[in-house]
Amino acid sequence: MALKPATNPDVEAATIELSLDGRIVTAKDGVSLYDVIASTGNIVPAMCYHYTFDPFGSCGVCLVMVEGKKAPVRSCTAKATAGMVVRTEGDDLFQARKKAVEKHLSVHPLDCPVCDADGHCELQDMAFQHQVTTLANAKQKLIPEDTRSLVLDFNMNRCIACGECINVCKDVLMIDALQFMKKDGFTQVVAKGDVALSCEFCGDCLAVCPVGAITNKYSKYLYKPWQLKKTTTTCNYCGDGCQMYIETKDNEVVRVTSPLSWKNKWGDRAETAKGHGGICVRGRFGFQYIDSKARLRQPLVRRDGNLVETPWLETIHTVVERLAAIKAQHGPEAIGGLITARCSNEELYLFQKFMRAAIGTNQLDSSARYGHLNFVHAVQHALGIGRMMNDWEDITKAKTILLVGTNITETNPLTAVRVKEAIRVYKSQVIVVDSAQTNIATLASHPMLVAPGTEGLFIQGLVKSVLEQDLVDEEATSKHPQAFTALKQAASRVPLDVIAAHTGVPVEQIHQAAAIFAEAPRAIILCGEGIVRRTGGYRHVLNLVDLAWITGKLGRPGCGVNTITEEPNEQGAADMGALPECFPGQARFDDAGAREKFEKAWGAALPAAGSGASLMEMLKRCRSGHIKALYVIGENPLATLPSSVGVRAALENLELLICQDPFLTETAQLAHIVLPACTYAEKDGTFTNLEGKVLRIRQTMDPIGESLPDWHIMTAIANGLGYELPYESAQDIQNEIMKLLPGYYNLGQPRKISPKPESYLANGYAAEVRNRYRSDLKRKPASGGTARRSFTLLMGQVLYHSGKLSTQASGLIKILPNTGRLHMNARDLEQMGLGEGARVRVTSPKGSLELGVQADLTVLPGSCFFPEHFNEPQVKDLMPVEVDADTGVPYFKLAEVTIEKL
Amino acid sequence: MSVSVLAKQLLDAVMFREIWNAMKVTFTHMFHRPITFQYPREERTIPDTHRGALALLRYDDGAERCVGCDLCEVACPSHCIKVVSTEDESLPLRRYASEFYIDITKCVFCGYCVEACPVNALAMTKMYEYSTHDKRTLLFDKKRLYEIGERFIEDAKKYLYAHNQEKNDQMFHDYRYFFPQSVLKPTQPLPPKHLT
Amino acid sequence: MQPIEDQRSNAYEDQRSTVYKVDPAHPESSTLPTLRTEELLLNMGPQHPSTHGVLKVILELEGERIVKATPVMGFLHRGVEKLAEDGTYHQFIPHTDRLDYVCAMYNNFAYCRAVEKLMNITVPERAEYLRTIVAEVQRIIGHQFWLGTQALDIGAMTVFFYAFRDREILLDWFDELCGARLTTSWYRIGGVERDLTPSLTEKLRRFLDYFPPKIDEYVVFLEKNRIWLARTKGVAVISAEDAVSFGLSGPTLRGSGVDYDLRKSEAYAAYPRCEFSVPVGKNGDTYDRYWIRVQEMRESVKIITQCLDQMPAEGSIMADVPSVTLPPKDRVFTNLDSMIQQFKLFSQGFDAPRGEIYCGTEAHKGELGFYIVSAGGGKPYRLKIRAPSFIHMGAFDHMSRGYMIADAVTIFGTYDIVMGECDR
Repeated sequence: MALKPATNPDVEAATIELSLDGRIVTAKDGVSLYDVIASTGNIVPAMCYHYTFDPFGSCGVCLVMVEGKKAPVRSCTAKATAGMVVRTEGDDLFQARKKAVEKHLSVHPLDCPVCDADGHCELQDMAFQHQVTTLANAKQKLIPEDTRSLVLDFNMNRCIACGECINVCKDVLMIDALQFMKKDGFTQVVAKGDVALSCEFCGDCLAVCPVGAITNKYSKYLYKPWQLKKTTTTCNYCGDGCQMYIETKDNEVVRVTSPLSWKNKWGDRAETAKGHGGICVRGRFGFQYIDSKARLRQPLVRRDGNLVETPWLETIHTVVERLAAIKAQHGPEAIGGLITARCSNEELYLFQKFMRAAIGTNQLDSSARYGHLNFVHAVQHALGIGRMMNDWEDITKAKTILLVGTNITETNPLTAVRVKEAIRVYKSQVIVVDSAQTNIATLASHPMLVAPGTEGLFIQGLVKSVLEQDLVDEEATSKHPQAFTALKQAASRVPLDVIAAHTGVPVEQIHQAAAIFAEAPRAIILCGEGIVRRTGGYRHVLNLVDLAWITGKLGRPGCGVNTITEEPNEQGAADMGALPECFPGQARFDDAGAREKFEKAWGAALPAAGSGASLMEMLKRCRSGHIKALYVIGENPLATLPSSVGVRAALENLELLICQDPFLTETAQLAHIVLPACTYAEKDGTFTNLEGKVLRIRQTMDPIGESLPDWHIMTAIANGLGYELPYESAQDIQNEIMKLLPGYYNLGQPRKISPKPESYLANGYAAEVRNRYRSDLKRKPASGGTARRSFTLLMGQVLYHSGKLSTQASGLIKILPNTGRLHMNARDLEQMGLGEGARVRVTSPKGSLELGVQADLTVLPGSCFFPEHFNEPQVKDLMPVEVDADTGVPYFKLAEVTIEKL
Repeated sequence: MSVSVLAKQLLDAVMFREIWNAMKVTFTHMFHRPITFQYPREERTIPDTHRGALALLRYDDGAERCVGCDLCEVACPSHCIKVVSTEDESLPLRRYASEFYIDITKCVFCGYCVEACPVNALAMTKMYEYSTHDKRTLLFDKKRLYEIGERFIEDAKKYLYAHNQEKNDQMFHDYRYFFPQSVLKPTQPLPPKHLT
Repeated sequence: MQPIEDQRSNAYEDQRSTVYKVDPAHPESSTLPTLRTEELLLNMGPQHPSTHGVLKVILELEGERIVKATPVMGFLHRGVEKLAEDGTYHQFIPHTDRLDYVCAMYNNFAYCRAVEKLMNITVPERAEYLRTIVAEVQRIIGHQFWLGTQALDIGAMTVFFYAFRDREILLDWFDELCGARLTTSWYRIGGVERDLTPSLTEKLRRFLDYFPPKIDEYVVFLEKNRIWLARTKGVAVISAEDAVSFGLSGPTLRGSGVDYDLRKSEAYAAYPRCEFSVPVGKNGDTYDRYWIRVQEMRESVKIITQCLDQMPAEGSIMADVPSVTLPPKDRVFTNLDSMIQQFKLFSQGFDAPRGEIYCGTEAHKGELGFYIVSAGGGKPYRLKIRAPSFIHMGAFDHMSRGYMIADAVTIFGTYDIVMGECDR
């Protein structure tokens, strides 16, 4: 049924005219009659309709009279045709609709008092609106509640079989985890195959359920909608920046809901290109950490080796005294700072201002260092822009999407929904290059499974293939013939068949992928952790820029090179200058004009241009004793970096370690002073999402315990140090940023940016490109032994977690607890004679570890996977660490290991 | 005006007749029974409709009526009720009020909560003597409310009857709130008559 | 901008300078006797027993004569109008109890009538009669209360006891009717909460027999009492034109000879079906208003008797509008549609149409009006109460000028002000 507007942006649908209640209305041909009526602002009641998917027509409430028909027709499934005469109002229609509502009510149980949906229930609204009063006693279905799922309860007594849950799951999210099933004489919604629901648990079915048939296990019976205070805010799990509602009751988070709901069901399908309003499992079910018992409620100061609860005033005095003493004795260069990209823009800005102006050091870094900066620096260097080029709408409407090294449905589920919509609605071709059998790969038209760690090589293959097949865009390359020649020369160094052999993808497939990409009018490149967090990330992003350049995709509308971010504000960290290389606005730190501007604005002398240090350098300086004090905000390097880096030695070598965190992390346990910080739910501010949209976070509740927002603590310390900061709210900081970076707060609609590769291609490109195209693989092919084999160990993100933060959310831990097992391909397990849960010894050059194994369908033979969120057992310590020469990004997500059966 | 009338008026004025008339009324009242109650030795008879302290009720078999639907909380014009509902662990999938507070210092005794309650778990009683030295004891919790309900059960029943919340017939006597969504077990009772 | 408080005191200064200030340059141009160089300012209230609540009046005295009186209001302000915006229409009924807290029923009545006008609901006949009966009982209570306190303020204590004794009977009757003596909340949007029981009817009839002789008793104390006459005749006189211009209503207006009564002119509830007369005064003084109130008590008795006789024996006491009125409780227990209705009405309220209405009702003090602005949905967007006490206080300065300071108490009383309603 294609009753939605013709969705292909390249083809305009014909316009027709029809009469609605005596008015002539124009509409697109082939559209649902319901949509046409809704577009005039006239709301015909309907229960099974939602604009995000095709009309289903099960509720039978949206009745209208069409001239020529004797009985009322369902407007949602009727097609609007030219010359139709439609009546939407009248007593007969009211009675007919009332009958339809009564039909649903007659088998609905009498459980408004105990139902969670009561007060937010479409059936209630409909019954009330249609003044149903003469209903006989309801028949009881007496269906036992299905509580098998981990997060959702299915109470089919309440179900009205509208099918919204099934449709949203199938049509919008393309997960297709639910189905109707005739059971015990009733049509029921069950998980596919009538087993315990096991899906991505995004909970969009819960959001669109108009009654209380699907309920949230984590908030069941705890609330009624009228008790809740609803605050719109931005999710702080990944860089998608989804808007969501945190609903609290008495300073406790009860549930999280999404803009997607049965309540806003009217709209145009085309609007979903900007997002369908849903949120993912992390946003919806991972809120428990906000008011968790493990939260720090009091400042802690180390006394006689123990962290002792101390009042704020005393703690701040201690911090100020000791920082001032270190600064006086060893100079500002003895102090460094780290901040997490889960902080708001205002806090990131304030942090770098604090470090640079109040302390006077450029030794500062943020967690964007773990990968995103590779992309930022690469596009900044090549194209003069500091973020990704396209927004969600471009992704949705692309003809071809090249996904490189990203398990996008797991890391950034809502950006993945855009890719899915591109596949389903806009029929785009998707090339997925990854070393795992990911979800998106199964949906994609051209999945390319590459050997682990060869995603970058595959990009070289694509560039080479474009050159070899002469798919080059003459217009783009002819402007820079020298650069083009240099690129051709550089690319010729690696033969395509070598690439094919290394990556494991046949040459024809590489050619095919290159052809699809090059020929598409709108082609998007999206690279993820497989590129930016693995060796050579910076180089590979530049290669992607090359690919886009020679195929003429740079600067063309709807095309571009993009990345996805793991933490909510990695883009903001780069924009706010929370890194030693840049000032706010990504002005270079050694740029004289920028230095003058910020010196003037901050009224302080800035540290020398070359004195800065990024994360790895800072750790080195800690170990060598140059840095005496480290101020860590929300970061946890001890639990993130492999032990071979020597983080523990570095931190223990410090005279003063100040940790500011909502939780007592591993790093905080070593600290001398621990300051309790608020989570995003307790403060105001903004996040910059991966698209560059600046999104507001709002205070939903009072801070837990005595915790304070990060900006508040930093302001207090700076004032104590004698550098007066006059901020009384996050808004004050925002005002300052607005003055320094006009136009940065873009009200959710970032300015379109256009890449400017000219100077990059004209100057020094030839010298640079020479080194970029090479195969530096030293990988041994997997040996065929049974008891002891070599594998590639990968560490990465999984859907149900985000960083270490989500492990504090009991809801997510319940969905995916740390099994402590290594994920391996079932075939490998079989060949090695390993059963589920068997113990193996994993050995890498950095160490050896014993742990259990489990089968995982997504892992390729010859590789194994462990989620990076868990440190038990310490798999991360097996990882070798390599630091990027250009960007200082540490790479530690891939290791060659041998596994032996125990 | 005739002379006689004038003369009468003059006489009345001189004699202070209106005072005498009034005094007559006052003196007759000396022989009336006083209408004053000597509280607390004497107590007023309070009508069944009287809106006194609130109570939570149980069914005759001792089960709590309240299912924790929070409707009283939203119906209350002075926001003095707070219900904390949760799942009953011993009876899976049943909702009940784990905590129930009425801040009687805020209560305006309008009776809306009783009117709202879909299971008639709340009622008002004739209890009005709960003055205290400690204001904190005026935050009635669930235990206290059930105690009041047990002590003044007759008042509560009369109140519900007087305010048309309940009729004195078999249906109301047999009525139990039935949880339709509970997991069916062999011991699960069949739904009551009014639901079949 | 200056704070409001300051502006008022400045205005006050101006007044003083225009009235009294002698130009020092030309002392001879002053017409004032040379001895008096200063006026006396007297703060009356807010802690004064005869101010019927917490009213403060700044009196400017020339000897014992009042030259100017400035009422200062707001000591009992509770933001009732704002509270209305917080809850559903239904939830506001208990708040109206606390407006004129001695006569809650009339406030309920006026409010419910306004909402019914907004929702376009017709109240069943029996409910209309019940409403009229109880409103008139409330009128009697109100006038008894006024009579007792006014006499007490002026110095006649005995009437107070007798009026309150009889008022007590009716309050107990209210208690039996709705469960509360003062904060009644008995009226509902679309009807009333509870029907009269036979016992209530019987008690009321007994009272109607008992009461008229008692009115004569009250009158004996006052009507010819020379002190009462001296304190009320010719005190607080206002002409018919001025009374209309000041927006006075109720007995205060009718005392000046304006025959205006909403019960007649709007003919709401069961009033058009009853025969009664509206007493109208001549002189516009306190005595005339006293007389009107006494007569109104007699008329109320007549109205109640007629209503009791005419009232249909059976019939619904609530309008049957499922989208506004509550379902019967027994259906809530067993039927889903009624349960939904119950939950929707209590949690979200009924969906009022967009628009604004004003509806005035003749309370015993005067015209009690509710002005409701609805933006759709279950809560009023704005609710304004036209409280007669407040309007009457506007005429206080005009009516008290030239009288003795002791008459100020009489003048408060003559309006029958209650500060709960005045300050809201």
